[in-house]
Amino acid sequence: MTSLDRRRFLELAGLGAVSIAGGGLLAACGDAKTGGGPGTTDQSQLSKILPAFVPSTALTPDIPGVAGANGFTSTPVFLKYPASPVTTVTGVPGKGGSYTTMTPLWGSIPSSKGNSYYETVNAALGADMKMQPADGVNYDKILPPLFAGNKLPDWLMIPSWNMGNLGFADAVNKFVDLGPYLSGDAIKAYPNLAAIPTAAWQSCIWNGKLFGLPTFYSGATAGGALFYRKDIFDREGINADSIKSPADLEALGKQLTNPKAGQWAFGDFFDYMAHVFHYPGDPYRWTVDASGKVVNRYEMPEYLEALNWFAKQAKAGYVHPDALAGKKEEGKQRFWSGKEVITGDGTGAWTGADEESGRAANPAYVKAAFKILASDGKPAMPMNPAASMYSFLNGKLSADQIKECLAIANYLAAPYGSTEWLTVNFGKEGVDYTMKDSNPQLTEKGSKEVAQTYQFLVTPITPVPVNPGHEQVAKDYAAWEADMVQHAVKPPFYGMNITEPAQYANLNQPMVDVSQDVRYGRKPISAFTDALATWKSSGGEELRKFYEDVKNKYGTGQ
Amino acid sequence: MTALRDAPTAASARPTRAEARTLKKADRRRRFLRDRALVVMTLPAILLVLVFNYAPMFGTLTAFQTYSIYAGFWHSPWSGLTTFRRLFSDPLFWSALENTLTLSLVQLVLFFPVPILLALLLNSVLSTKVRTFVQSIVYLPHFFSWVLAITIFQQMLGGAGALNQFLRSHDIGTWDIMTNPDTFKLLVTAQVVWKEAGWGIIVFLAALAAIDQQLYEAAAADGAGRWRRMWHITLPGIRSIVVLMLVLQLGNVLTVGFEQMLIQRFAVGRDASEVLDTYAYYYGVVNANFSIGAAASLFKGVLSLILILTANKVAHLFGEDGLYRR
Repeated sequence: MTSLDRRRFLELAGLGAVSIAGGGLLAACGDAKTGGGPGTTDQSQLSKILPAFVPSTALTPDIPGVAGANGFTSTPVFLKYPASPVTTVTGVPGKGGSYTTMTPLWGSIPSSKGNSYYETVNAALGADMKMQPADGVNYDKILPPLFAGNKLPDWLMIPSWNMGNLGFADAVNKFVDLGPYLSGDAIKAYPNLAAIPTAAWQSCIWNGKLFGLPTFYSGATAGGALFYRKDIFDREGINADSIKSPADLEALGKQLTNPKAGQWAFGDFFDYMAHVFHYPGDPYRWTVDASGKVVNRYEMPEYLEALNWFAKQAKAGYVHPDALAGKKEEGKQRFWSGKEVITGDGTGAWTGADEESGRAANPAYVKAAFKILASDGKPAMPMNPAASMYSFLNGKLSADQIKECLAIANYLAAPYGSTEWLTVNFGKEGVDYTMKDSNPQLTEKGSKEVAQTYQFLVTPITPVPVNPGHEQVAKDYAAWEADMVQHAVKPPFYGMNITEPAQYANLNQPMVDVSQDVRYGRKPISAFTDALATWKSSGGEELRKFYEDVKNKYGTGQ
Repeated sequence: MTALRDAPTAASARPTRAEARTLKKADRRRRFLRDRALVVMTLPAILLVLVFNYAPMFGTLTAFQTYSIYAGFWHSPWSGLTTFRRLFSDPLFWSALENTLTLSLVQLVLFFPVPILLALLLNSVLSTKVRTFVQSIVYLPHFFSWVLAITIFQQMLGGAGALNQFLRSHDIGTWDIMTNPDTFKLLVTAQVVWKEAGWGIIVFLAALAAIDQQLYEAAAADGAGRWRRMWHITLPGIRSIVVLMLVLQLGNVLTVGFEQMLIQRFAVGRDASEVLDTYAYYYGVVNANFSIGAAASLFKGVLSLILILTANKVAHLFGEDGLYRR
């Protein structure tokens, strides 16, 4: 048979319909209310919902956080794990319940069969947590069918950048309102959850209700950074601190590109350039200009400038061809093996584990981040909300189950320096990890089994992670962040959890496509301006009105 | 099928209508009893088709609704043909349709004959050892996923792939194969040929094996050469299966490799790679705008059904079996 007749020729409704039917048939008499409000909450209401804050009196960090601009602070560093960890939870928190979870994972998904890490943590939790990590890169495409099919797990993590296509003000209604369990002093029943800072809880509120449990929040969440291979820079005699603008970067493009040797200067780091050119990057697409008018990033000359800049690099041949072929998933490998010298990534990927992977590809591997670049000599780093990843409990859970899950969450939120933290992050000593130079290190078995899964349900205040033998990475990171927070700014609509009306969901896709065409050098800039005109007339102007209303009614989160 | 032919049995005089009905009924009963084992054997397949092909058709109703994944199937408001009006006024939809059709045409011309030619070629190889060896090798890519297949293409032919690095090291200009939107249709077809042509020969090899060997011997005895035997025996021998495959292919004209397009979208851009399936995916599933996705897919389904029925009709007109014997 050819490939063609193996496919169902009577496939009447194609791919979409399969999930739709599932949704249709399974969505029992659900909530008929659609097209809810903008999702955001005003300040006076917030104070009633937010849980009390009882900071943990655990340990003093080796490198304390640094206070930056606009109230932001950098992340502390502990260079060694405490020799005698504290215990914050007595007994097992669970009551033997069984819960399905889904969390994104950016990395290879471990086998759950005979996974001693899962077994260890589940035994410590006293519950059967069925961990189902899913591909983080495609998580935004996994979620809508999950909602449509009403196949939500009991405990689900959703990053803020994957909420855009979910109509999240409606979606949250599928989850438990945690307010009755956690608001105000109620949270004191869960001391480790009470040690979560207020700013992190604030980003977990939609429609005036507390829905989320925050994970990996911090005092200064940057949307990512531009990284370079310090070993290659040193070899070439380049001083990274002298790179301050896109023009400086471009000069590096020429110097560092050597296709014959299989080395290109740049990866596709366009998504990490927003702060350099001063247009709003994800999750903010809208901002307020100097005259007070609400504008979309696509309308800003700064965005055009960035597109032009990147297209120029692509045409000059400074960007790795595989990056221009959209092979994003392999970007890390290309950076590790030195095929790309400069790349963009989340700051969470700047770890000892990354250094280990890099050293495996190239023993000289050293990763570093540029200080904040700016196209106009005025560096500014717009901050993401304190937490941009949250987990939610399925609304179908009973009150007892919710309490069990929160008790489990309290265990998972045990602070750095506790025995629980070690269990949650490293599993069983001697099996999944061993202590080396006073820090836990995964064994070979551990590195196959341990993956960020439980951590995506809830975390304590997370210090910069330190891997034995890679202390310098943590120090470098802390130094970079201490500098970065000095440029931290609150962008308009900061942390407001705004949900755009569903009818505008498709507005963005053509702009994403044309932006890619232009910056990869496939289309002239005029194609972008044409698309922008269509964008405006087919809903962009209406969406502006929506944001104007939000601004007038709820402010801009400043 | 043959049962249909020997259906009229002992009807000597012209029966009345009522009699005819009773006769027919009795006949059906008799045939059912005779074929009951076969009927039972088809049950799992029927179940499969019901569950995975017919049940999901319910979902097409959402094309006529303003479907919200939270309100669900029963509570989403009806919207009549609004979604279709929106769909048909969307230039992106028409460009996706155009891409789909041209790609199909290109594949029809450049891919469809390949398995037939390969089968003929293999069939002419006398050594079974060589034949099995070649056959196993050309089958192999069929079992690769598209992700893997395209990665291999990228590693070999990509801008930093083996070919271009070789060209670079000899200071010959590079050749942009993987990210050139203008030649994307040829690239896609080449990928399909590489991956599926080997698998496609199975059915034709089976048809070739079914040809009576005595015909060849008789023709050879009559002095027919290689080409005459091919022209007068081999080709007529596989003609009906070729027509069947062609009819099926026409029904699939609007389905041109969803995964393959999705993976290469960023390499060549939307304009070159958007086909109906990816349109339904991006504008329907990804952005949770399921009504648009369902409408696009319904449109595709209806058009495919019309195409396959027309192709079948044409096959019958030319005296071929098509999908079924009349």
